[in-house]
Amino acid sequence: MRARGEEASVTSEFVRSYVITGGRSLPAADDLALHTLVTLAPERTPPLGAGPEVMAIWKLIAGGYLSVAEVAGHVGLPVGVARLLLTDLFEQGHLLRRAEPPRAQNVDRATLEKVLNGLQSLIG
Amino acid sequence: MTSLTQDPLLWILLVVLIAAIAAVMRARRTNMALRRTRKDLETGLGEARGDVGQLHTHIATLSAQHQRDLADVRGDAEAATKAVLKSAMGTLQSLAEEQQVLLDSLLKKYGDTTDVLADLMSVDHTGSQFGRRAKGISVLCGGWLGRRDGVATVYDVARSAQGRIKDFNRVSVHSQVGVSLAGKAVEPVAVVLAELLDNATNYSAPGTPVEVNIQAVPTGVCFIVDDAGLGMDQETKDRAAALLSVDGPVDITGLGDPPRFGFAVCGMLAARYGFAVSVGSVSPYGGVRAVIRVPESLLAADAPSPAADAQDAAASQEAAPQRLASVPAVGPSHVVGTTQGGLPKRRRRERPVAVVPALDAAGQEGTPESASEVTASRLGAFARGTQLGRTTNSTEGPEYK
Repeated sequence: MRARGEEASVTSEFVRSYVITGGRSLPAADDLALHTLVTLAPERTPPLGAGPEVMAIWKLIAGGYLSVAEVAGHVGLPVGVARLLLTDLFEQGHLLRRAEPPRAQNVDRATLEKVLNGLQSLIG
Repeated sequence: MTSLTQDPLLWILLVVLIAAIAAVMRARRTNMALRRTRKDLETGLGEARGDVGQLHTHIATLSAQHQRDLADVRGDAEAATKAVLKSAMGTLQSLAEEQQVLLDSLLKKYGDTTDVLADLMSVDHTGSQFGRRAKGISVLCGGWLGRRDGVATVYDVARSAQGRIKDFNRVSVHSQVGVSLAGKAVEPVAVVLAELLDNATNYSAPGTPVEVNIQAVPTGVCFIVDDAGLGMDQETKDRAAALLSVDGPVDITGLGDPPRFGFAVCGMLAARYGFAVSVGSVSPYGGVRAVIRVPESLLAADAPSPAADAQDAAASQEAAPQRLASVPAVGPSHVVGTTQGGLPKRRRRERPVAVVPALDAAGQEGTPESASEVTASRLGAFARGTQLGRTTNSTEGPEYK
């Protein structure tokens, strides 16, 4: 029990995620996988009446490709919720997406050593 | 003369006279006695009347005393009930709060599992409604609401309130205002708005929309709640007006069974924090229009941009996202001097390096850059690639496909 006049601070997220989704059912996970890369299609304007979360995602992905997982992490939403918002944007034609890029190939040790030596002579 | 004394008539007259005198004397005595008795009786009556008056005064004193005692006892009982309820609701409030924090972490943890996420959200929804009830009762019992450290936009306050009622998906929030509420006003306004939305959704047909419009007025900001119900009858209106204009403690035992807390909570919070609530008018849809007017003194001085809340802004400042395209240049030019020990002094990189090197395709799809920036970017990417090769453990990460 708290003393009179003393107010504990609210720590939980203020706007609950089911309000952000509007109570709609969430899209399946295989539609936009965690590592799918998304960015804005060129020359698009944000949809009218877009919520703060959609605008945050819009700003975030305007600068280049980001994975779905990163988008969710940066806007602080559960992945499923971010995926729903991204799916909306995709269905409105605002998004470009592409699969995960191939990993870089390993270079042989001799080349790396040469590069290392070169760099050391440059910046050392 | 002798004839006179021998006249029997004279004697008769004499006898009659004596008898008359005796009778008069007797009557006079009786009269005197009666007068005395009457006087005595009148004195007695006066005394009795005085006694009765005293008794009346005494009874009045006693009954006043009785009323006072009864009011005192009622007041004490009410205060004791409120203290117990307040303490119990405080516990429930913090439990609901804890549950929300726990759910926040669970929602993040199982964010990628669609089914689990949907179930967690429905649990969260129930928990939020529970928390609203606990807060309402606590407020009526003189308890305090949680305080937010930061400001919140009016749009977020409305959506937070929306999340605390059962039929939240019937509510639509429209805000053309970018202002924020001061931290201390955020929670009370959200609680009051949630109560009004609860009334609006409960007293209108299922499936009809409930609208929240947020408008700036010269004296502050208005939250306008419109429903498409049947409106309120005069009795309900009077009751609402009485509860909304209350100034002081509310008699919780007088709220009916089951108790209707809504308007009492609104009136209490509005009086305590200094905003105004009215429910008298008719909405454009024929139902009730409820208005919360928040004065300028409860608005935050500096409004954050409505697009991103403070948390997002802080997050993007401390860790800019790593991207494939438009990587920053790093190279020899970043050596800005030499330390006293002869070691090169380097400028801190503005942004973290990209984990995945830029592809050729990224150059075509990415933002347009000048030729020198592209060259610098490629050199930087090469430098980082070699650095990555030296620092990354080859067993980390997914298998190369």
